[in-house]
Amino acid sequence: MGDHLPACVIDVGTGYTKLGFAGNKEPQFIIPSAIAIKETAKVGDQSTRRMTKAVEDLDFFIGDEAFEATGYSVKYPVRHGLVEDWDLMERYIEQCIFKYLRAEPEDHHFLITEPPLNTPENREYLAEIMFESFNVPGLYIAVQAVLALAASWKSRTSAGRTFTGIVVDSGDGVTHIVPVAEGYVIGSCIKHIPIAGRNITSFIQSLLREREVGIPPEQSLETAKAIKERYSYICPDIAKEFGKYDSDPAKWMKKYTGVNAITKNPFDVDVGYERFLGPEIFFHPEFSNADFTVPLNEMVDEVIQSCPIDVRRGLYGNIVLSGGSTMFRDFGRRLQRDIKRSVDARLKLSTMLSEGRITPKPIDVQVISHNMQRYAVWFGGSMLGSTPEFYQVCHSKQDYMEYGPSICRHNPVFGTMT
Amino acid sequence: MILLEINNRIIEETLTVKYKNALARLKPESIDVTVADFDGVLFHITNVNGDKTKVRVSISLKFYKQLEEHGADELLKRVYGPLLTEPETGYNVSILLDLENISDDWEDVVKKVGLLKRNCFASVFERYFRLQEDGDVSHKRAVINYRQDETLYVEAQEDRVTVVFSTVFRHEDDMVIGKVFMQELKEGRRASHTAPQVLFSHKEPPLELVDTDARVYVHSRMRAKAGELLKVLNRARPQSTTRPTERKTISGRTFVRRD
Repeated sequence: MGDHLPACVIDVGTGYTKLGFAGNKEPQFIIPSAIAIKETAKVGDQSTRRMTKAVEDLDFFIGDEAFEATGYSVKYPVRHGLVEDWDLMERYIEQCIFKYLRAEPEDHHFLITEPPLNTPENREYLAEIMFESFNVPGLYIAVQAVLALAASWKSRTSAGRTFTGIVVDSGDGVTHIVPVAEGYVIGSCIKHIPIAGRNITSFIQSLLREREVGIPPEQSLETAKAIKERYSYICPDIAKEFGKYDSDPAKWMKKYTGVNAITKNPFDVDVGYERFLGPEIFFHPEFSNADFTVPLNEMVDEVIQSCPIDVRRGLYGNIVLSGGSTMFRDFGRRLQRDIKRSVDARLKLSTMLSEGRITPKPIDVQVISHNMQRYAVWFGGSMLGSTPEFYQVCHSKQDYMEYGPSICRHNPVFGTMT
Repeated sequence: MILLEINNRIIEETLTVKYKNALARLKPESIDVTVADFDGVLFHITNVNGDKTKVRVSISLKFYKQLEEHGADELLKRVYGPLLTEPETGYNVSILLDLENISDDWEDVVKKVGLLKRNCFASVFERYFRLQEDGDVSHKRAVINYRQDETLYVEAQEDRVTVVFSTVFRHEDDMVIGKVFMQELKEGRRASHTAPQVLFSHKEPPLELVDTDARVYVHSRMRAKAGELLKVLNRARPQSTTRPTERKTISGRTFVRRD
């Protein structure tokens, strides 16, 4: 770090934004990516409606405060991971920097994340905002999936520290499977799965609704969420798991105690099969969603099979988990086992079809779990942002003034040497 | 509305989580957080000697020596009292919080720690306000180099305390914007009568600082002068006398000149 002040790491997601200073293990702030502004009902397009006088352009709230502000309209400038409204985004970043991080942007380098398949134009917009409005000395735009790969290095030996791997990123809304080869995302092979944290919660909620009567209806969502976070895990085999619960309920059934928000009376909920059935919908999506029935492991396998043949082994050997919904106990182990099974079956088939003339080299399947999974993307950014190399690959203010925003179209991969 | 707060949110939120976890009897976790604040201030939150129940918050200010001259130590002692501890190496002030004996007013403690930076600065102002009250105007002004080549002067006079901020705008555009912005501040009094009086001047240092060697001002004057001279030189450049031979209208037609 030297005489630099720590770099600021900002990970703007569709739902939440993670903010903090590089070098730390966890983001300092996790706030909703929402902004509350005053909009007049005047006729005209968006920009004329937002025209303000004097200091009104500073009159807005972001994050949790946005929902509490009355008389403002709440907007989400980010859709599906991509920034849609740069006007709002600029203000959002302004408050992130000044109010939350309390950093003078001229003194800090910035690492900002982007989703895979971000457009080069978006990078230019971001560069314009950062260099022109905030006058930052250096900016690096990092791909989220690549940062998630970097975050997994902490639990690996130096041999495993590559930028080739497949990221299974499951947050609240959607699960992405993103293959990365030597730091570059293979965009055509990215797949999305409509099953993530929110679906697990609502599945548990529906199970509870059928059985438990004591839960106040308005608290059923938060109860389901608490049960999911506290007690859920992934089991190796559902049939056996049911047997285990039935033979020794005392050992496996848990009791959750909540407090009624209105009457302040405690209520008890028995937590049974939903402990393992909830997260099981990753592997048996048909439990909760009739339209989508491909299990996660098959999806990952499919993605790798669609990738160029020379990177497939590397991808199988480095399946990295990221996001809060991959935090269930034994999630990695189950995924690894299921993928391994289908890979082995395929190898066996090719041996059989060649009538024993070909014996393929066995494929090593490894799913990497680590304790930084929840905020893996931010943590990866924080890790890379605190290396001296980061300051070398950053686009500097001088370069920006010399060449313009187009320099930020490309951000070199770095960090493999560390 | 974005109003910059004087407290540090990160410190407050981090410590609140720590206290709440301790009160809920959760297993204490180790902590090691480095965060920055305005004016190049660095905070460091750590455990002392690996003891997870002892949380130390340290602050480093580049200009702490100058603050010390104005009684920062006494003020911190008064505010934090027994919480103060031996400063961590590389930092100026450290505060130690014990998560094993939590007093009932822990929320106030957290607030107080969040104001650590503000309190470091406070001594200067408090002192000069007191000097002004006592009518002691002979005291020489306080000089705080709060940023590299930006300085803050505090001076007590008979009827007021004057605070002078010297600000450097590196870019010409910033200078223009800065000027407009300062003008707004000046006008602030019209909107609210309790607002403190703000005066600003560019090029000329304020009269309070006449005898100060203000390199910054000299620089900005030099720059302004150089800019003026350049303009004069540009004016003196001989204009090309030859007219362009052919001019086109918007539709691309040309006319033949007859002069």
